Amino acid sequence: MKRISPGMAVILSLLAIFALAAAAAPLLSPFDPLRQSLLMRLRPPGAMVSGKLLLLGSDDLGRDLLSRILYGARASLLVAALSVSVSLVVGTLLGMLAGWFRGWTAILVMRLVDTMLSIPAILLAVITVAVLGPGFLNLVLVLGLTRWPRYTRVAYAQTLQVATLPYIRAAEMAGCGPLRLLLRHVLPNIAGPLVVVATSEFGLMILFEAGLSFLGLGIQPPYPSWGSIMSAGRQYVARAWWLTVFPGMCLFVLVLCVNVFGDWLRDRVDPRAQGR
Amino acid sequence: MTAPALTVENLSLSISGANIVDGVSFAVAPGEVLALVGESGCGKSLTASAVMRLLPDAIRQTGGRIRLGSDDITDWPERRLRDLRGQRMSMIFQEPQAALDPLARVGAQIAESLRLPRASARPRVLRMLEDVGISDPARRIDQYPFELSGGMCQRVMIATALIARPIVLLADEPTTALDVTIQAQILDLLRRLAVERQTAVLLITHDMGVVADIADRVAVMYAGRIAETGPTEAVFARPGHPYTALLLASIPRLSDEPKSKLAVIDGRVPAPAEFGPGCRFAERCPLADARCRAETPPLLPVAGNRLAACFHAGRVA
Amino acid sequence: MNAPLDLHDLHVHFPGRGGAPIRAVDGVSLSIAPGETLGLVGESGCGKSTLANAVVGLLPPTSGSVRVLGTELVGASRATLRAMRARVQMVFQDPVTSLNPRMTVGEAIGEPLLVRNLFRGAALRTEVARLLEEVGLRPSQAGNYPHQFSGGQRQRVVIARALALRPALLICDEPVSALDVSVRAQVLNLLVELQAQHGMANLFVSHDLAVVRHVADRVAVMYLGRLVELAPRDALFATPRHPYTRALLAAVPEPDPVVQRAKPHVPLTGEIPSPAAPPPGCRFHTRCPLAIARCRSEVPAWRMIGETGVACHVAY
Repeated sequence: MKRISPGMAVILSLLAIFALAAAAAPLLSPFDPLRQSLLMRLRPPGAMVSGKLLLLGSDDLGRDLLSRILYGARASLLVAALSVSVSLVVGTLLGMLAGWFRGWTAILVMRLVDTMLSIPAILLAVITVAVLGPGFLNLVLVLGLTRWPRYTRVAYAQTLQVATLPYIRAAEMAGCGPLRLLLRHVLPNIAGPLVVVATSEFGLMILFEAGLSFLGLGIQPPYPSWGSIMSAGRQYVARAWWLTVFPGMCLFVLVLCVNVFGDWLRDRVDPRAQGR
Repeated sequence: MTAPALTVENLSLSISGANIVDGVSFAVAPGEVLALVGESGCGKSLTASAVMRLLPDAIRQTGGRIRLGSDDITDWPERRLRDLRGQRMSMIFQEPQAALDPLARVGAQIAESLRLPRASARPRVLRMLEDVGISDPARRIDQYPFELSGGMCQRVMIATALIARPIVLLADEPTTALDVTIQAQILDLLRRLAVERQTAVLLITHDMGVVADIADRVAVMYAGRIAETGPTEAVFARPGHPYTALLLASIPRLSDEPKSKLAVIDGRVPAPAEFGPGCRFAERCPLADARCRAETPPLLPVAGNRLAACFHAGRVA
Repeated sequence: MNAPLDLHDLHVHFPGRGGAPIRAVDGVSLSIAPGETLGLVGESGCGKSTLANAVVGLLPPTSGSVRVLGTELVGASRATLRAMRARVQMVFQDPVTSLNPRMTVGEAIGEPLLVRNLFRGAALRTEVARLLEEVGLRPSQAGNYPHQFSGGQRQRVVIARALALRPALLICDEPVSALDVSVRAQVLNLLVELQAQHGMANLFVSHDLAVVRHVADRVAVMYLGRLVELAPRDALFATPRHPYTRALLAAVPEPDPVVQRAKPHVPLTGEIPSPAAPPPGCRFHTRCPLAIARCRSEVPAWRMIGETGVACHVAY
């Protein structure tokens, strides 16, 4: 393994903190994120309420912002992870099939990709959610099923390239069927670039989730998501800055970390850097 | 012997502390072809890059001088070197199609190092194209590289390299990517131009057949050092270094017994990190003894006007 | 007994850019006897690699017949092709791309045995160990990945994989061209040795005449998709009949300055024409020092001179 630079170590630990915080939200949250209290409305960060500290303040319904952000991280990461998985699987499958069989399969798949890519993604998501109705599962499906074309393009180009290599021909000579050829010989050798795409998409997915939730099309109240917290805090920007600033900062730092991580990963996956 | 056109003295190159080229010295006279021969990783191409002053960033020159004619160019600034390249010293490469600019016409590429207005350059370019054996130069001069075959591209590269009449030409595996019948043409061409123009040619190759064909002298490299150097015929007739002897014996020839066992060199080339204090070939050498592993054998004269870096040079069969 | 390989009037054409098909292989007939090595030489673009790939069914022939051990492969069913591939194996030029970088060499060598349900579990491991030893590697290296091996060792792994199914015909497509000189000898020795042991037939494709002479019993010379000469090794190298074979032999630089410089230097002029627009008549006439008017219009028929088959109007 190559050594990890100090800067990268910071990024990796921040990512680990986000992931842990999201996973352990129920343990870490000082309050129930859904419990409303009129007595605790719009308290600033650091306020004490009946002996308990509101570290990041509270929102307009008297809910603890820290707890809501922790649970919101859960929603963001879960939506992003699931939707990336859906699009990764769908996109890779289509791309590999197109690259392997070429001909009509490729024409069909790649035209579909072009079509998908010429529709603004956020608009497509908005329309689909509007039709299907908002909610966690629909959000995952919408994001997952609109974002696969990038994977398809990468998988297609990589498969075309790998399919011509002698070891694939050797595997054919060995007697491997198409399934084994694709899963055992092609997939592991195109996985690197796909993981890089998935990482950069992961950052985008977090932003999309926040954007859709902000518009009220994602995670539905009272369940917290960074986008919906900011959306709710919008009207109080002058009086309660913390409602928009803290979730916004979380969003910014997380996506930045994911993107830097993606760049770092791309450099490592680069075939020139690989000891062939 | 006339004053050498190119002199390399004690060149040493290192990458992260490992000596990948160690004390390499040679000189090439005008009109002479010196072949630097060795297997991949022996440092022959890096030596050529060092001569051109075009070393990759990761590689440091830790010692040695490079002289072009009487000028020591070792410490020249990049700006001065740029005036040198293509003018007094040029280079041709293995993949002629990759080395030519795909978007520039053949004539424009050849004329580039002339630094003349287009109209006055054209007749000289035409003459050069003819000189490198390109038929129908008037048509070829306005074509793009993709319209030419590999052999033709190599001729264009040679024309580009030689039009400014450099005193030194570096040829890095110039025929490796070409077919044998085309290779024979290009080697004949290089040989003829070197003599006619009195250009010193440093030929980098792995192919002993190519060396035998056109080199006046040969330097055999192994793991960053010169194992043996001397006139080609003498080195081939009676190698002074066990590596040269084994290498020559391992090549199938048109004259040997078919299906006979070819000589093999056991083991593998040591990685730079594994270089010991002694002879770098010692681990694979049938003649090696304790001294070979402890001490670096110097390049010393042996019979036939040659130098060999082997304590047992007299016993090499 | 059926010949391991029997080609009759094989054509392999590719769609060309300008409409005219690229006639990579254009009417080749040859056969290989059991235990025999046939060397196939020619320069790039002569169709020798295309021919090798068509023989193993990796490229579809346009017309003609490919019989492996008597079974016709042109137009054969998938099942027939798959069954035949167990009997024909291939060694490729570039040992770097011949092995899946994400598979251990043990998995690679064992794969043909595994997917054909011949060995599994402990028996498979034993067989892989045996194959590794047979090609001069240590059984303990089975768990290593290709990048941990040198080029020569990788080529040994490729050979072990090709031997796993005990093929009747081994096709070697430039097996030593990508290797260093000293490693080349090791791999050539191994191939000669293994063939003597196993007695399989071998189609050995190479551009290097000295290498071909070293391993082959008979030699076929290709130019622009056609055979120009086919002869027993000694006949071909002692008395080459076709002017192209002679030119090729003259162009091989011998690693001996005395021999090399004494050779008459009559390099072949001109370049190899495109296989999309081959010259009419004899395809070699544009570069042939002996060409006469007839060569420009009439395709020379295949004829025998002693043991040598040759396609030339003027050869004697």
